[in-house]
Amino acid sequence: MTRDEIKDFVLRVFREEFEIESPGLDDDLRERYGFDSIDAIEMLGEIETLLNSELSQEEKKRAMDIRTTNQLLDYIESLARARE
Amino acid sequence: MERRVVITAASAITPIGHSEKEIVSSLLQGISGVKPLRQDDLLAPHIHCGVFGTVDYEIPFDFERRYRKTMGPVSFYACQVAKEVLEAADLDRDFVTSGRLGIAFGSTHGSPTVQRDIYKIFFSGSPGDFSSIGAVDYLKSMVHTTAVNIAKMFGITGRVISSCTACTTSSQSIGYGYEAIKFGMQDAMLCGGADEYDTTTVAVFDNLLACSNAYNATPHLTPRPFDADRDGLVVGEGAGAVLLEEYESARKRGANILAEIIGFSCNNNGGDLILPNTNGIIQTIKLALGNASIRPEDVDVVSAHATATIMGDIIEAKAIHAVYGDGPYVTALKSYMGHTMSACGVIETVLALYMMKEAFVAPTLNLDRVDERCAMIRHVRTLERVPLSIAAIQNFAFGGVNTSLILKRV
Repeated sequence: MTRDEIKDFVLRVFREEFEIESPGLDDDLRERYGFDSIDAIEMLGEIETLLNSELSQEEKKRAMDIRTTNQLLDYIESLARARE
Repeated sequence: MERRVVITAASAITPIGHSEKEIVSSLLQGISGVKPLRQDDLLAPHIHCGVFGTVDYEIPFDFERRYRKTMGPVSFYACQVAKEVLEAADLDRDFVTSGRLGIAFGSTHGSPTVQRDIYKIFFSGSPGDFSSIGAVDYLKSMVHTTAVNIAKMFGITGRVISSCTACTTSSQSIGYGYEAIKFGMQDAMLCGGADEYDTTTVAVFDNLLACSNAYNATPHLTPRPFDADRDGLVVGEGAGAVLLEEYESARKRGANILAEIIGFSCNNNGGDLILPNTNGIIQTIKLALGNASIRPEDVDVVSAHATATIMGDIIEAKAIHAVYGDGPYVTALKSYMGHTMSACGVIETVLALYMMKEAFVAPTLNLDRVDERCAMIRHVRTLERVPLSIAAIQNFAFGGVNTSLILKRV
């Protein structure tokens, strides 16, 4: 899975599920868009669907430090790589 | 310290309308909000009762996603009436977030619609489905979901009371809100209750043989409180909210004072969890009158709980007669919309405020032939155009809980 494909996925989920339109890739998601811990858990469910794979508790906990879209893309890329 | 407490804004979503104008019009014209029970894929086909007090009009919710995401249908209702009350009261934003405004708001179950979806996953038999339980499902279905969704939406930081005593939920909300202000713990309280459309509640009452089922083809002819041909209650949906404020500060800021709360009582029958109890109700009524420091003859109108069950209405009529005699008008507002459960106390309070303002008492609908066992009190059978100074709103719940609220026009 390429980074562009992951980016398309993330921006679509932001738009369709979170009403976040075209966020700046380094915007603080919480400060700028009110993206909170509840949203993070929902996003992890979307990522599991994308990867067709359940995330471990350790993997999920790592996500709690994510603040920007770029960090989210890095995170998904690493998850995808670990599953190759 | 004891302070006076007044109601400065009110709103309700009911089966007979949403705006004050619609609700008053329905009361004046005797229009019922009871409709056929909606079919579902779960319980409706098996329930004998085929009627429901239904909110069948569009409500223009305009909540942002960050608020919507933790709301089940019951919280949409709750936040809508809360929003309308706060807008009507026009409180200063700094006050709303100051901690001096609290919330007393509840529902019977949280959101049963969301709970049902969770249970469907539990019983699906597929362990992998557990991950499809949403992160927010608990927040939508927990018992205090209405109160905290309101708090979040408006940034309210005062105390939170979320009673969940079924049919006395919102009368307790108002009563405990009143006491919080009266004794100086808060300067204002946003109080109310809500319940969403739910066939589970109908099924429970149906199994207890407490639901109406003889009028399925003519929903508007049931419930029939105090009528000889009543055959049980009708479950309904709705929500209501009132804003309570300390009298002096409300007066100083030029608030529109709708009424003063002068008394509240709550007790328990100390026994049976289902059947109402004459002595328990008598004590509740007396406690409220004592709390208000008024005599029974000072009360102009009693809004009876009157669910239209056979025994409940007889017991309530006896209790009303034992304290009030045949002095005050007695009206049964559930005859218009069925039993809105957690919302009934606040909805009946809002309707009482409207009747006080417009100087009328709405007649009990479908009271064509008074049951002689309920005939000893002053039933309102046709519209009474009469000024009202003091109204008493009484409610009773499963578990033997009773409340009485007393309002006075200021």
